[in-house]
Amino acid sequence: MSATFVSTSYLGTALLPTIAQTQSSLANLEVESSTGQYADLGLQLGDQSGYELSLKNQNDLLQTLTTGNGLVTMNLTASQDALNSLVTDAQNAVSGLTAWNSAGGAADATLQNLGVNALQSLIAATNTTSNGQYVFGGLNSGVAPMADYFSSTPSAAKTAIDSAFQTAFGCLPTDAAASTITAAQMQTFLNGPFAAQFSGSNWTSNWSSASSANASAQIAPGETIETSTNANQPGFQQLAEGYAMLSEFGGSQLSSAAQQTVASAANALITQGLSSITATEAGVGASLQRVTDANASMSSQMTILQTEIGNLDDVNAQAVATQLNTLSTQLQTAYELTAQLQKLSLAQYLPVS
Amino acid sequence: MSLSAAFNIINSAFLSNAAQSAVISSNISNAGTPGYSREVANVLTNSYGGSDVASVTREANSALLEQVNASTSQAASEQALANGLAKLAQTVSDSATSSSASGSTENGNSPSAMLANLQDALTTYEASPSDASAGQAVVTAASNLAASLNSGSAAAQQVREQADSDMASSVSTINSLLNQFSQVDATIVGGLATGANVSAAEDTRDTILTQLSQQIGISTATSANGSTSIYTDSGVTLYQTGDVNTLSFTATPTLTAGANGNAVTVDGVPITGPSAPMAIQSGALAGLANLRDTVAPEYQAQLDQIAGGLINAFAESDQSTTTPGLPSLPGLFTAPGATGLPATTDTTGLAASIEVNPAVDPSQGGDVSLLQDGGVNGSNYVYNATGAAGYTGRIQGMIAAITATQSFDPSAGLGSSDGLADYANASVSWLQAQNQQASNQVDYQNSVVSQATAALSNATGVSLDTEMTNMLNIENSYTTTAKLLTTVDDMFTALLDATNPA
Repeated sequence: MSATFVSTSYLGTALLPTIAQTQSSLANLEVESSTGQYADLGLQLGDQSGYELSLKNQNDLLQTLTTGNGLVTMNLTASQDALNSLVTDAQNAVSGLTAWNSAGGAADATLQNLGVNALQSLIAATNTTSNGQYVFGGLNSGVAPMADYFSSTPSAAKTAIDSAFQTAFGCLPTDAAASTITAAQMQTFLNGPFAAQFSGSNWTSNWSSASSANASAQIAPGETIETSTNANQPGFQQLAEGYAMLSEFGGSQLSSAAQQTVASAANALITQGLSSITATEAGVGASLQRVTDANASMSSQMTILQTEIGNLDDVNAQAVATQLNTLSTQLQTAYELTAQLQKLSLAQYLPVS
Repeated sequence: MSLSAAFNIINSAFLSNAAQSAVISSNISNAGTPGYSREVANVLTNSYGGSDVASVTREANSALLEQVNASTSQAASEQALANGLAKLAQTVSDSATSSSASGSTENGNSPSAMLANLQDALTTYEASPSDASAGQAVVTAASNLAASLNSGSAAAQQVREQADSDMASSVSTINSLLNQFSQVDATIVGGLATGANVSAAEDTRDTILTQLSQQIGISTATSANGSTSIYTDSGVTLYQTGDVNTLSFTATPTLTAGANGNAVTVDGVPITGPSAPMAIQSGALAGLANLRDTVAPEYQAQLDQIAGGLINAFAESDQSTTTPGLPSLPGLFTAPGATGLPATTDTTGLAASIEVNPAVDPSQGGDVSLLQDGGVNGSNYVYNATGAAGYTGRIQGMIAAITATQSFDPSAGLGSSDGLADYANASVSWLQAQNQQASNQVDYQNSVVSQATAALSNATGVSLDTEMTNMLNIENSYTTTAKLLTTVDDMFTALLDATNPA
């Protein structure tokens, strides 16, 4: 037969596959126009699926880190506030000492009150919590880093200081016998047995439960910073030593000269502590800045990632709309043609006899 | 020439008209029958000048039929593969239609997405290590990851079992078609020998061949006596001169990871499976066998590798100072009854059995804090010796292990060394690439089938218009012949009247 022969069965069914295909494409396009993404991402992306998934995972990780950085910022800010209050207290103590000195340095309760108040604030500030964690505890953030010096049952630190005094002078500062202690003897005691209470194992067993290692956390992929400070730093030791000196020996039975020695030693310690704490505060401020920078950098990375994910996942809305139009026109044409072809039969045109 | 000769010619014209009308009627009534080949009446001039229908030819085109059958086989094979892959792809696809803002649903439930969620949970846990709820979130994310691997492995197993049972039904369909074919072939051979019209039998034969090519790729050869032999596309004889070589296959209802299904055999020779000497190339049977024996097991092996990689990445190492050192043991992830870490070459079935270590799962009486401090395997494995609440070293170690490069079994098809997260992503890519390729192949092969079918239909099908035109010709011829008969009759009457004066 000739090449132009077309069988009736083919003529009747030629457009059926086209219609079915167009209908399924239309269904996909409807999904795509409503979601703005490909109807079947896996089928569309093929071997790029893993890449797309890794971009999404990376985006989620950055999001998680940004959320976690909120917590880090909160902890660091709490540390910063506490350090700030320590600085203020220390400055007040120094000016209190200066005022006491210029008022004549009388052996009254002024020094003791100054010391007790400052030591209480130090302990309170050191035991600052943020989100249930002690910010100056180092790794050991679950335990209050500084024991209460003024507890009703005498604290270990208080007992140890008393016993050191007893060993050196054979009496307590509150005993009348203490009035015979000379300024030079007091200076020796302060530099020796008393100073030893605030360093080494005496500090860690009597004063501080903090860990010298600081907690660290990832603030951006590959960037880990220390997110806490700890109460074992020299600044805390110096302040505690200076304040404890005042609270123990100020207003005691010590001679006026000995108290002058105590005041001037305390002044020196508190001043040292002040500069040390200020340095720590600067470190915390720098960490805060790093978190802020990390957040900004992650935010711009996320924008890039989301753009890239969008490039892979998103359909061109205009293209989809145009395609929808084209396909529905095509489908209408196919229906029209099918109906027309059914009419095209010689049987329709033969005269009925 | 005599008037009586004219009578004979008229008579043969009537007979020829009737025979042609029968052929046209048959064509018209079968215009819509699939597999029907148009018949043509061959009209010849007979010895006394009339016309006879010498024979009826079936308008067959074996070359086009072969093409239709071959493309049908290809399409069926790709379709079987694509169906299985689409099922597997469902377990990893990230849905675009999700309106939820949470990452887990948007990114789907693939091991890759679940691993990323675990990494996120660990990162959050790192920021507040003493927060039990953050630890609980890690355990939940880990459970989801284990569940994702379990369900992925179950899906692969289900796809293989379904393929196995489909193979069984495909084999029984093929055997039944072969038996039908042997009867039809006998009818044709017998009919041709006796000169009977075998067109109907030939139509049936072609239909059976097309149905057969759905299931298995075939090639055919016709011998001089009209008998058609069937071979697989790999050359194994399925039918030859009355002898049917049936396929045999024993289904395996349960196909766990690593278990192999049976091969389909003909005369004891396997025709499916990687080791078959003459493996069939196309047809649903070949696609199903490929899915069951190659594609799904490879994906399952990848999941097993991910599971093994997870157990290794989260393992605890000896922290004590004892010598010799103790072996590393499973930490967050383990498998029931595990006594040590799995070797990369020995992970078969791990994806199906991997679970969160009960020792850290509070819902099973475990203790979440073992995640922070270590010590799932006893005091020798405690990382946080001082018990500090802010210790994050172990958590950081686990986060690093997710992206750290480790070795994998190259036989799973994704290389021998990669980070765990990258490996999981690569597995998703592999699966979706297979899925995309199979889907494209199905589209392509289907269009080839419809083109080949159209060509065959145009070559051998019925055009009602043509048949109707032929019918009008015959009608005209009949009218004219009848007129001729009347005229000759009149002439005879006139002659008789002239020679027989009343």
